[in-house]
Amino acid sequence: MKRKPEITDGNDFLKYLTKEKDISDQIINHSRSMISIVNRDYIYEKVNSTFCNAHQLVLDTILGKSLGDIWGHDTFQNVIKRNVDLCFSGKTVKYEALFDTPKSGKRHFEVVFRPLSVEPGKITHLLAETFDINDLKKSKQAVKEKEEELRKFETNLPIGFLRCDPKGKILNANKAFLGITECHDEKSINNVNLRSFYLQEQLFDIQIDQLKDCHSMNFGRVSLKNCSGKEIPCRISGFLAVNKSGAPTSIDFAVEDCSRELMLENRLLQAQKLETIGALAGGIAHDFNNILATISGYSEMLHDDLPKNSDLSDKVSKIQGAVKKAQSITNQILTFSRQIEQEKVLTNVSEVLKETIGFVRSSIPSNVELKSRIPKMKANVLADPTQLFRVFLNLMTNAIQAMEEHGGLLSVNISTVEREFVLHELNRAIVADEYVLLTFKDTGEGMDPSLMGRIFEPFFTTRDVGKGTGLGLSVIHGIITEMEGEILVSSKRKEGSVFNVYLPVSKNYSDLKAATVCRKKILFITGNKYESRILSLALESAGYELIYISDERNFVNIITDTKERPDLVIYMNDSRQIKPEDLVKIFSGLKILTPCVLITDSIEELSDEKLLNSGIIKQHLTKPVSLKEIRNAIQELIR
Amino acid sequence: MPGILIVEDDKSIREMLKLSLLRNNYTVLEAENGKDAIVHFKPLLTDLVVTDLIMPEEDGLKVIIKLKEIKPSIKIIAISGGGKAGPASYLNLAKALGADAIYTKPFSINNLIVKIEELLDNEQHS
Repeated sequence: MKRKPEITDGNDFLKYLTKEKDISDQIINHSRSMISIVNRDYIYEKVNSTFCNAHQLVLDTILGKSLGDIWGHDTFQNVIKRNVDLCFSGKTVKYEALFDTPKSGKRHFEVVFRPLSVEPGKITHLLAETFDINDLKKSKQAVKEKEEELRKFETNLPIGFLRCDPKGKILNANKAFLGITECHDEKSINNVNLRSFYLQEQLFDIQIDQLKDCHSMNFGRVSLKNCSGKEIPCRISGFLAVNKSGAPTSIDFAVEDCSRELMLENRLLQAQKLETIGALAGGIAHDFNNILATISGYSEMLHDDLPKNSDLSDKVSKIQGAVKKAQSITNQILTFSRQIEQEKVLTNVSEVLKETIGFVRSSIPSNVELKSRIPKMKANVLADPTQLFRVFLNLMTNAIQAMEEHGGLLSVNISTVEREFVLHELNRAIVADEYVLLTFKDTGEGMDPSLMGRIFEPFFTTRDVGKGTGLGLSVIHGIITEMEGEILVSSKRKEGSVFNVYLPVSKNYSDLKAATVCRKKILFITGNKYESRILSLALESAGYELIYISDERNFVNIITDTKERPDLVIYMNDSRQIKPEDLVKIFSGLKILTPCVLITDSIEELSDEKLLNSGIIKQHLTKPVSLKEIRNAIQELIR
Repeated sequence: MPGILIVEDDKSIREMLKLSLLRNNYTVLEAENGKDAIVHFKPLLTDLVVTDLIMPEEDGLKVIIKLKEIKPSIKIIAISGGGKAGPASYLNLAKALGADAIYTKPFSINNLIVKIEELLDNEQHS
């Protein structure tokens, strides 16, 4: 500390006083605050240099001026006056305000008024200090905004953040963590140990030990349980903070719910598995078809060598029947592995669904109720209607079988959904702006998740051996995948299953146009059952002109009319108007050469030898007939 | 008698086809893969080809293209048992490339013979 200078005479003392005053003036003038003394008439009596600078005025022009003169009369009346008056009542007043100064424009200031008394017992003046706090305020605001941003970031991210004490007791948890654990009361989890959220609590202890060694760790997937005890797969990482001496002070955890990710992963795995099985099964089917070709070829030759209607030729026919059955299985496998091309036409899904429902209704058990809502829809998809029929029929039959024992409700719905909706649902690439969504919901037996993952695998069946090949759902999967659609299943044991089928809506009309160019007339003799209607729908969509007949007379008229004469006759054995023997009679009687295709329910129905050996039938197909098969047959017969 | 070339890697099918064709009085030539068929092709002796599609070395599609190139008047029937790898649009592709008829395995051998007669008949008439 500087020692006081030695004073020897009055002159020195005066000098000393002047010097001291100079110093204090210097201090006051160089303060960064505006300092002033104001009397009770609101007149400035003293101001420092900072004040003068801020107002860009010289000292003399300020002294004697009122507060209103300097700051503006409005500001004085509205802001300053009441604070000044308060100070004159004896209080130290502190306030913040926005002031306009000529030097720096509008800025935030903090003002302190302190009462001063020159005469004892009376407040005569006040000391005003005005600090520029604009920058401070700005940085405070910035900090606040940053904090807000951080808070938003933390609360909006679906990642749970936790701070725990070194033993794992939760000190602080964000909303996301509450959401993940479905604990809706923040207080209820404070002071709870995170350990109690672990499905395997010992695992938590191990992780804490690991953190003590490594401080920061990603633990990968860990199963937590929510407040109601349900398992939630989560991804967890932790960070252990230590003090200067190395003792742990707290542990931070980040917890991410990965159930959706896990579900998508599982679906992908399923899809890959099906793809692999498909390739494998397709290869086997190919080899099998080669073997069947050999068997079929030799048995045909053998059949030709043997006398007709002999015991031996009957046996050979049985071999041929077995070959056809085997072929139908290899065909199903090839459909599943998408190695059979589908003949696709623009198809109105709701029409096909309506027919299928009609077909199912006719044979539904009395304890099963079928509810459907099929609005008229314009949405078309590119599909083989006969294959779609197969898909819907199979899904409905499965649902009914699942309810056979205890009865229940099968609800079928159809709607169109937008791309945005599908985006979150489907695993495969989105190929259309709109999808048709078909829902088949039953209240039957339902399935365990382990079963659910395997239902599309070929030969996987829960039914007794011998009942069904276990190919139905595999074939459906193949057909839908080939259409660039997707089938998703959800199910609960004892509650029922829901199958959702998504099919991309097609806006492509070029196929339809191409088909209509070469219109051929087909005489369609059928019982007009739902199944036949599907086939006619398919053929009409494919561009053929179909002629239907109501009875035998009508048939004779059409087949002999040179104008109306059809290019081809398709005869389905469900026809009631014309019996097979009538057909033979009319064809041979009138010497009609129009090629005829016979469609029967199964290979066994070949027994109608009269019809088959009459030479009238040029092609014989068995149900289910795909559009491609029938089209190949037609193209073979009429060119 | 018209000569028919069988191109098929599966020996049992090849022999079955051969027997059936011989029974119908055709002269039969054989090749066990596409490359063999193309390299040893005898245009003067061959009127019709029955070819499998998926085979080692050169496949059936190559056979169709090459043989039609060498002898445009040749008739070709493609047979296939569904794809071993990839989609089975091969048969349609075969047709697009010039196959006169296509059959999926297993097929009726009698139908095949009828088709062969028809194709060769047309040949004689035209």
